Amino acid sequence: MIRADGIHKWFGELHVLRGIGMEVTKGEVSCIIGPSGSGKSTFLRCLNLLVFPDQGDIYLEGVRITSPEVRPEWVRQQIGMVFQSFNLFTHLTALRNVTLGLTKVRRMDSEAAGKKARWELERVGLGDKVDAYPAQLSGGQQQRVAIARALAMDPKVMLFDEPTSALDPEFIHEVLDVMTKLADEGMTMVVVTHEMGFAKKVADDVTFLDQGQIVERGPPSEIFEGPKQERTKAFVSRILG
Amino acid sequence: MKGGPIRDEGEGVIGKPRREIQKATRRPLLGPFRYPSRRQIVRRTASAAAAVVAFLFVFWLGEAGLYNLSFAEEIVPALERGFSGTMWLVGFVIPVGFGTGLMMASARTSDSRIARAIGGTYVEFFRSMPPFTLIAFSSLLATKLLRTVFYIDNPVGLAVAAATFALALHSGSYQTEILRAGILSVPAGQVEAAYALGLTRSRTLFNVILPQAFRISLPALGNEFSSVIKDTSLLSAISAVELAFIGGVLVNNALSRDFNLPFIIWSEISVLYFVLTYAVVWIVRYAENRSKVPGLEAAQL
Repeated sequence: MIRADGIHKWFGELHVLRGIGMEVTKGEVSCIIGPSGSGKSTFLRCLNLLVFPDQGDIYLEGVRITSPEVRPEWVRQQIGMVFQSFNLFTHLTALRNVTLGLTKVRRMDSEAAGKKARWELERVGLGDKVDAYPAQLSGGQQQRVAIARALAMDPKVMLFDEPTSALDPEFIHEVLDVMTKLADEGMTMVVVTHEMGFAKKVADDVTFLDQGQIVERGPPSEIFEGPKQERTKAFVSRILG
Repeated sequence: MKGGPIRDEGEGVIGKPRREIQKATRRPLLGPFRYPSRRQIVRRTASAAAAVVAFLFVFWLGEAGLYNLSFAEEIVPALERGFSGTMWLVGFVIPVGFGTGLMMASARTSDSRIARAIGGTYVEFFRSMPPFTLIAFSSLLATKLLRTVFYIDNPVGLAVAAATFALALHSGSYQTEILRAGILSVPAGQVEAAYALGLTRSRTLFNVILPQAFRISLPALGNEFSSVIKDTSLLSAISAVELAFIGGVLVNNALSRDFNLPFIIWSEISVLYFVLTYAVVWIVRYAENRSKVPGLEAAQL
């Protein structure tokens, strides 16, 4: 479904990504873990070209999207993204946050967009909050609106960038529940997360990233219970406590 | 209740549209008697004192023989001409200044180096020129050009138009910086989220950045609008027919009749400027209230 090939990225002198290759097949849930500064977020942003890789290629359903002929907007409307800090549009209601992409990118008329947006909000359990502004919602509710906003575009792949890291503990489960449901429905997902419970339960494979390189990749049981690399061992034992 | 923001008051309020919330929480005109708060007492005492001082001043003016109602009426037609002239100038300067400000603020925050350079040069040039110099210079330049190129002998109207345009650009340079500050206050995450949905740059600018930047810029914009309204009086220097120019003419004629008359003239003109400024500020304040986002209120002490 989506494949990255030898991705390099420099921020000035800093070599953030040092040749990352990865493939996620249709319906697969792939988790990325790693210490902060390891390049997880940058890599995720490369996948929908929010950060353009300096070297290497990315393929979406076989199309080389890093080619200069491909419009990044065309790529991004097929890939949903959910951010650590929600990034809901603060001046718009929950409903209008969801309809914005539908009317402006997919050119739906506002009635159809409204209907679809309501349905998507219903799906994440926020059917009663359509007219609320982001500042009136809890963190968990905001993140669910953000998920609905991404889902409304009918994405082929969903990217999650530490979706629960900014949440109060009491709200984490409601977001993870939505994500688990999504995974069960067969959505292709790439998730940067530190929620080991979620990764163990839902992920098809886990990638451990350190210093811009893939250290180890495998099914969750293998990464969490019997990692082969020393660095993975050290990291996993630290986060599992 | 203070004039403060509408707070979310439990489940019932969140789901309703904004207009209804405002209606529901508005203070009734007549209600049960409440003891005034300390802040209200201070405010009321201050306004009562101000009213007394104003009354004494007006009374003293009357004692000094300043009330000449027939003269006040006599100059009304002239003032009407002046007022409509000022309205035309304001109606040109504010929209043109705002449009330029919007364009240049976008240019200054764009990632094209050329656009940034153009915006920067524009701001630094027009912000550094005294508006009076701009007006004098541009009207002279327009006259010179029109004379030598189009052989128009005395293009007064066109010279005024050029000077008005220069004044609009001057105001635009301030508005550029006001709007740029607003744009810079929008977090980068908003742009990222818009891009991630597949919105183009211009869609992101118009649908995500500017509405939020505009909301934050409004108080400062109101300031600039009210300031430029009064700057149009500088155009009287090149004989633009507007309030200050009419005032000068009237004063010149009246001085030989009675030294008290200019007081009447300038009083009436001040009132007219006040009315115009207040109207514009009122519109800005209305826009401010409209763009308030429930739940997203500023700090309150």
